Parts: sequence; structure tokens; C-alpha cells
Amino acid sequence: MKPAHYKLALRYLGLLSILAISIGPFLWQFATSIKGPGEDVFVPDFIPDDPTFGNYAAVAEVVPVWTFALNSLGVAGVNVITNCLGAAMAGYALARLKFKGRRFAAVIFASSILVPFEAILISLFLVMRGLGLTNTLTGVVLPGSIAALNVLLLRNAFLALPAEVEEAAVIDGANAWQRFTRLALPSVKGTLVVVALFSFMFSWDDFLWPLVVLSDQQKYTLTIGLAYLQGTFVQNQRLVAAGTIIAVLPLILLFLLLQKHFFRGVGEGAIKG
Amino acid sequence: MKRRTFLAGLVALPITSSVAGCGLSSNTASNSSASGQVTGEITFQTWSLKPKYTDYVNGVIDAFQKQHQGTTVKWVDQPADGYLAKVMADASAGSLPDVINVPPDLSFPLAKAGQLVNLDESLKDAKPEYLENAWQAFEIPGKGGCYGFPWYLNTGPIFYNKALFTQAGLDPNKPPTNFKELEQQALQLAQKKVAMLGQTPSIADFGLYGVKVFENDKFTFNEPKGVEFVETYKRMYDVGALIPEALTQNYTGAGAKFMAQQTALNPGSAYDLGKFKTDAPSLYANIGITKPITNTGSANMFLHGVSVPKSSKNQATALAFGRFVTNAENQVKFAKLASIFPSTSKGGDDPYFTTEDGSDEARVRVAAAKQLKTAVNYTPVQFSDQMREALLQQLADAMLGKKSAKQALDDAVAECNRLLK
Repeated sequence: MKPAHYKLALRYLGLLSILAISIGPFLWQFATSIKGPGEDVFVPDFIPDDPTFGNYAAVAEVVPVWTFALNSLGVAGVNVITNCLGAAMAGYALARLKFKGRRFAAVIFASSILVPFEAILISLFLVMRGLGLTNTLTGVVLPGSIAALNVLLLRNAFLALPAEVEEAAVIDGANAWQRFTRLALPSVKGTLVVVALFSFMFSWDDFLWPLVVLSDQQKYTLTIGLAYLQGTFVQNQRLVAAGTIIAVLPLILLFLLLQKHFFRGVGEGAIKG
Repeated sequence: MKRRTFLAGLVALPITSSVAGCGLSSNTASNSSASGQVTGEITFQTWSLKPKYTDYVNGVIDAFQKQHQGTTVKWVDQPADGYLAKVMADASAGSLPDVINVPPDLSFPLAKAGQLVNLDESLKDAKPEYLENAWQAFEIPGKGGCYGFPWYLNTGPIFYNKALFTQAGLDPNKPPTNFKELEQQALQLAQKKVAMLGQTPSIADFGLYGVKVFENDKFTFNEPKGVEFVETYKRMYDVGALIPEALTQNYTGAGAKFMAQQTALNPGSAYDLGKFKTDAPSLYANIGITKPITNTGSANMFLHGVSVPKSSKNQATALAFGRFVTNAENQVKFAKLASIFPSTSKGGDDPYFTTEDGSDEARVRVAAAKQLKTAVNYTPVQFSDQMREALLQQLADAMLGKKSAKQALDDAVAECNRLLK
């Protein structure tokens, strides 16, 4: 009995230390964001002497944070829709439809994941310029609207569906479109949630691309807008901290709301069979 | 940081090829003259001045528009993060704003690619209005011509932590005045487990030590004096006088370590005092201020400028505005607001920069203004972000003992010279 207890304690100790490592910095940032003026912000001190939420109000005064958030929300929202729809259609085609070059197409999708975004930044920018989409939010959305990673995720999810079910549907007279909407889509809900969450997160966090495309402050997304808090000469660490908390809050909320589906989605390929 | 360096190299490729294409075709015919009418609309891009200096910049723009009826200046401000990527993307698309705020190391690749207006040619009378050392910073060595109006300058004292000095048994009123003392005191601090420095030397530090950094179109900081300098750092590193993070740290990171009181000494700027006061009050209570350590008699300076790209559709107005933003009156006003220094030849004569009122801020300001008269921008304009990274890595190898100081510097110089081509 004794050794088991000992092991259990050790296990919890391990878990707790990982918890401390992963959420410690976040707590520190949060503590910084509610520190009043005149407190040390560069030494770890999790309990502010003079807690205040004034920094959050100050962020909104310094930068039009709501405009930025609205832009970000728009971009992320559109990205979620295009990714769920587009990636599902492409994934289904790659997994279930029979056409020439299907394998080749899948390989192309897979290999495009390997190209670092920075390598195609300039050419992508030139394309956007050619299309007349620089300095528009459409230009921000477009490159990430159907991510290859999501296509592959969904392809694998569709592949995990037993082929027999679909054959049965074919015998019942369902065409490809009907099989896609009535049969395949409802059974990969979990993966769709994962894709939605991923695409929301990626586009919400993206900094470099919106920065390069946009030049009008009115159109800035939250990540670029918050960079204004890092002034050239003087910066208020408390405002920076408050800004980052504002930026990360929607992600946390979204994750909490969807976490049930999220974990189911991650393991979807494994459970179904 | 990683991300940006990677970009720097990548972006340099398309710039030379595509830029030559767009730049040449669009501007040679229509508007290469600076003597045209000062009218119409231009765009002015600054480096992270919003929102703190919004009123100031708008004031300058209003004054310009009043002085030149019929002009409109559209102001865009870009955050400092990713500024390089943004400018390079715009440059290769031929869509740079009419007036851009760039430091010398960013103006250099643009000027080399033939993207910027040569001020020595277009505005022959502008040169005497600026400090000579500031004007020189925007000249392209070996190619001639100046490619940016010098804007604000910055230099500063060395800050040290008196509490840490006392703790290690050092006299808190006797900070190091030369590199020899720096090493001695660092070794003494290290015995008490206190680190002196938060950063391995930057290219500017080599310059301060008196190393010949760049000569005859080549990097030369692997000369014996450079090796001697790195060996000093190696000795300090071995006893723990440099924090372990120093190997990968940039300027901002080192500043944060100093504010966290993990290092005892850090070079800074006049505006840092305000930062200490609000963000690290327990450090501020013990702050010591001293002169920069230099073997050459000249302190280091940083500067920013504004350049006009050749692709501008309205060069006459752009040049007039660039000169207006950087004129003595506007610079002095800006310098007072932001605790920086004007680059105009008469700017430093303002009583604000010559008289002390007893406060620490004024003391630092006056000392810095004095030191600016002889200050040098030790960072060669050719020194790109990628080269900075290469030097950092080689120095890390030297500190860890994977390579000798000589070998590390030889490798760094070879890499920098390779990147130069």
C-alpha cells in the first residue's frame, strides 16, 4: 500500500510542477497587469501591493482597442467559416472521391505545410498587390482561408469513416453531395471543432502577415494594434501586460467552451472504427 | 528576434532584383527632380511614435501644411516589431511611402539598391544644417551621397546598481571608468555571485574598445585588439560575471535583466531614468550614473533619420517635408518631449541641453548632450541584423570555450564579409 501512495504523491508533484511552469508566466503577466504605478514589475511578485484594473481602461485610452478587436474578430470569424467549409470539402474530395491525381494532390497539400510562411511572404505580398488587395482585411484573410493542415486533418477524419457506410448510401441512391452533407460531415463534428479552434487561434494570433498587408491604422488587427503599446522610447509594462491579457482572453473562453469537443476531436480517428 | 533575422536575409534577395525593375521604370522619367512644385499629397511613415507622440507629429504636419498651401501629409505609424519586414515588402513591391523613418542600417540596403533619393545631389544646401557626424551616418561608404535626413539622436550614460556594488564590497561611488577597471570590478562582484553584465559585446562595443571594425569595404574586427577584447569577456564569463542568458541576449533583454537587478551595470539612455522610476522603483533608489566606458574618447550614439524613396510620385514635396520634420525647431521640440537629442548643428545649443536644474534627469541630459558632440555611430551601416546574429553566435561559442576568441572572431568576420556581398 505504502509504495503506491508514495508514487501517487510523486506523480502529483510532477503534475503540479508542470502546472506551475505552464501557467506561472501567465499568472505573472496577469499580476503585472493589475499592478499600480510605482511597483516593481521586473521581479516575480505575484501579489500586487496596490491592485488596480485601471491599466485595462488605460489600454483602451491609448489605442482604439475595440476597433482592433472587432477587426480581429471579423478576420478570425471569416477564417473559421472558410476553413471549416473549404477544408471539409477539399478533405472529403481527397479522402473519398476518385479522380486522377488524387494521391498527388494530397502530397502537394502535405508538402505545402513544410514551406515556412516567411519564405513566401514577399511573393504573397506581390500577389495581393497585383490583386489590389493590399491594405484590406480581405487581403489579410485570403492566404489563410483554407489551411493545408486543416485539409489534411479533415481528410484523415473522413478516411476513418468506414467505407461500407458510404457504399450503403450509394446503393440508396445518394450522390456525392448528399453523402458529404448528410453522412460525412455530421460524423466529423469533433474534427470540425478542432479545425475551427485552430483557424480562429492562428488568425487571431497572426502578426507578421497583417502587419505587412495593412498600413491603415483603422484596419489594424489586435495583435498589430497592441504592438503600439511597446513605444519607441518609453513603454509601460503594465499596459503591455493588460493588452496581452485582453488579447488572450477570447482564446481562453473559446477553449473552455469547446474543450469537450476539442478533446473528442483530437482522438476522433482513434475511437471511430 | 529569430524570426526577424531570418527575414532580413530572405528579403534582401528579392529587393535587388525586383526593386531595380519597378524603381527605375517608374521614376526616372516623370519626377526625379527635387525642384518641382511643393504641393499635393504625400505619405509619411514613422517608426512606432503613436500614440505617445501623436500630438507632436500632427502638430508638425499641420505646420507644414500651413506653410505650403495645397499639400496634404498622410501619416502612418508602424509598430517597431516587424518594421524591417514591412519596409522590405513595400520596397520590393515599389510601394514605399513618400517619406520613411529609417535608421542608418535600414537605409543602407535601400540606398544600395538605388531606391533612395541622394540628398547631396537633390538638396545641396541641406548638409550644413545638421551635425557632421549625424549626416555622415547616412552616407554610403564608398558610394558617396547621403540618403537620409538625420533625425533624432540618442546616447546615454552607464547605469549601475549601487546596492549590488556595496553588497560585493565595492565602493558604490567608484564605478569603472575604463575597461580594465570594468573587468577587475566584475571579477570582484562575481566572487559574491553578482553578475556585472547582461550581454556579450555588440559591434558598437568593439568600436568603443578601439577596435577597427570596418575598413576598406571589409569587416576587420578580428584584429588583435578585437581578440583581446573578447578574451576579457571570456575571463569575465568564466567566473560568472556575465549572466548565462547573456549569450543570446539583445539590448532590450539586457535592460530587463538590469531592471530585475540581476546585473549590476548596463549602458542606457536619458529616458531610462523615467522607466526605472515607474517600473523598478527599488532599483531607482540605488541607481548610480556614470560616464560611458570608451578607449577612443568618443561615446556611442544611435540615430534615426527620414529618407525619400525614388519611387515617390511627389519627390519635391516629400523632400521639403523630410527637411521640415528634421529642422532645428521641430527637432528641439521633439527632443524635449522624448528625452532624446536633436541632430541639427545648432540644436544642442538650446539651454535645455546645457543647464542643469539639480535633477537626475537634467544631469543625465546635459552630460549626454555634451558627449554627443564627439559621439560616433560605431555600428557600420553595412552591419545587418543577420550579421548581428552571426556575431552573437560566434561570441557565444567563444564564451563557452568551444572556440578560441581568435577563431570565433575570424569566423564571424568571414560570415559578415560573405553576407556583405
